[in-house]
Amino acid sequence: MSEPGLRARQPKAIQNALAVLEAAAHAGPGVTAQQISDALGMPRATTYRLITLLVEDEYLVRLPDLRGFALGHKVADLAGVSAAPALAPLPRAVRSVLADVRSAVRAGVHLARYDVAGVRDIDVDPDFPLLDEAALRATPGSSAMGRLHAEGGLGPVHQVGAFTAGFGCLALPVRGERGELVAGLTLSAPAARVSSPGDALVHLRRAVTRLEPLLG
Amino acid sequence: MTALDRAIADPPRVPGIGTRSPVDGLSRRSIGPVDVLAQSVSAVAPSAAATTIPVLVATVAGQGATWSLLAAMALSFLVGRTVNQFVRRVAGTGSLYTYVSLGLGPVAGVVAGAALLLGYGFIAMFSLTGSGYYLDYLLSRFVPAAGDDALVTIVVVLVMGAAVFAVIALGVRLSTRLTLLVESLSVAVIVVLIVALVARLHPVDASAVALGPTQPASFAVGTALAVTAFVGFESASVLGVEARRPFQAIPRAISWTVLVAGALYVVSAAAQQMGFAAMGADLASSASPVNELANAFGMQWIGWALDIGIAASFAACAIASTTALVRVLFAMGREGVLPRVLGRASPRFRTPFVAGAVACGVLTVLPVLGLASGIPTWTLMEAELVVAALGYIAAYALTCFAAPVFLRRIGELTAGVAVVAVTTGVLLTAVLLTYLGVEAASPRWPAVAIAVGSVAAVVVAFLVATRRRPWRRGRSRAVYDVPVEADLLGASRPSAGTDHQAGVR
Repeated sequence: MSEPGLRARQPKAIQNALAVLEAAAHAGPGVTAQQISDALGMPRATTYRLITLLVEDEYLVRLPDLRGFALGHKVADLAGVSAAPALAPLPRAVRSVLADVRSAVRAGVHLARYDVAGVRDIDVDPDFPLLDEAALRATPGSSAMGRLHAEGGLGPVHQVGAFTAGFGCLALPVRGERGELVAGLTLSAPAARVSSPGDALVHLRRAVTRLEPLLG
Repeated sequence: MTALDRAIADPPRVPGIGTRSPVDGLSRRSIGPVDVLAQSVSAVAPSAAATTIPVLVATVAGQGATWSLLAAMALSFLVGRTVNQFVRRVAGTGSLYTYVSLGLGPVAGVVAGAALLLGYGFIAMFSLTGSGYYLDYLLSRFVPAAGDDALVTIVVVLVMGAAVFAVIALGVRLSTRLTLLVESLSVAVIVVLIVALVARLHPVDASAVALGPTQPASFAVGTALAVTAFVGFESASVLGVEARRPFQAIPRAISWTVLVAGALYVVSAAAQQMGFAAMGADLASSASPVNELANAFGMQWIGWALDIGIAASFAACAIASTTALVRVLFAMGREGVLPRVLGRASPRFRTPFVAGAVACGVLTVLPVLGLASGIPTWTLMEAELVVAALGYIAAYALTCFAAPVFLRRIGELTAGVAVVAVTTGVLLTAVLLTYLGVEAASPRWPAVAIAVGSVAAVVVAFLVATRRRPWRRGRSRAVYDVPVEADLLGASRPSAGTDHQAGVR
């Protein structure tokens, strides 16, 4: 093979490798080589060879069942400087506020924290898990917590039926010292409760008041 | 934001990943690619084989000896490619035992494991006996009375056995570094020898290595014999836990070992054939071809260098083979196929300490008993080599048949890989049967009986031990290294989700 031929082929290989990583990230941990090949419409042998190379270089990690893959620690290097530093875990005082409001409101209460790009981290109600976290992250523009950020957190935002018919969300802004949006407290409940939250809104507003000095 | 960016910003939680691997206790991810290569090359002992195998092949394949070696190299390369299908996916210490167990189930795994242990064990004993033989020979140059003295050989074997144990126990880095040094020395000696020989051979007459009127049958037998010169190339795969980047370093080490050793053998065989043709003699009828060539071409100093080179090669091979053997025993101990105590690692040196002590004890005592009972050293070495080669080739053949089954189970089988694996498996089975037949008809038949008998005994013992626990025969319980949290994206991230939620509830 001549040198120019080699050079001309390499960018394609790199594109394909990135496509494999992207597919693995999209599908989440445990995706198999076959699923990646199907998702990308790439020939089996090519996909397996790329996966093998990515595993050799530790961008992908083969999971203990030997079928599934997850992203490896080297992927973080790809992002380099663009990767934001990890957020600190929630302080104990915040967790206790969340526990109080969750026990008072018999519905899902989630706390989303934001950075400039959008939702950074969600503390999900352990008793009422999110119906479809992947869809929520994929289309932040149709979720209440995503729109809260998009609209600058000026006032409460709600949506009904964007992800599951008959269910909706109500997001209240949590503001920092200078009035900037730092987090959103979200009620996730059947549509009727989202339109007329009643007592729940009182509990949520009380929780927001307690959270603002802790998070801002 | 793409899925990849999101995953980097907020790494997903991967269920079922712990902070420790089931093969915990060894020095995980600690040795580099050169050490990994040294392990495979040393287990093959290319310089010892390059001086002894061509003449053995020439006795059956005649003029086609060089071509038989070339065919054996191609076959070994295909075996290496198939072994690498596993090596790229499973990082363990059990090598072919683990692979066959994963592909064909625990019973086939035990057959392959027994065969592989015979391979590593008998090559280690062959090397220990060989180092005794050559050091005794070197000593007899100064003290003629010491020549051919079984007692001297026994003492050398005992000392070498203790030294191998010390190296194995003190750390994997020490053993790979030492084998690298010693093996480089011995390969350098043989390369110098070949270059010196070819330099005096002018004009070079290539017709001596032309594939002349060789019978297909004798060519096949020659190839079967030549394959034994390559066995051991897969042994880097026992370093799956300890290699820094196992999925990259080990497959490369395996392929390169076959290519480097093969190149050395082919060049050495061609040089020897051409040298003997220039002398007007027949390589096949020579007793000690390299020494005869050296004397004929006025290079007596080579005899000395060669003895040192071969002794060094044996020492490296003893360390490398025992390193591999001990790690297979360690995997079997962790799995519970052998007593659990064999799976214990030294907390200080991070080596499989108990398996090392047991293995070195047995590997030293057996040849000493053989020598003490009056078996001539060279006869003992030949028998040990036959047992080892049979064990290796059987384990390779099983691995080739296991590969497509394993790949199909994990959904990664492609047609090309399946064709190569099955073809190689069939060819290897033919080589195994040919070799078995040749050796069973020779005065070395007791070695064939030992090899076949040992594997049969181990399998019967396994079936008896599991007669009330049939589930132990059903699904593989092979242990191998699995990723830990530090290997996954987001290793440095404090666990943001589950932990504190659990605390609130």
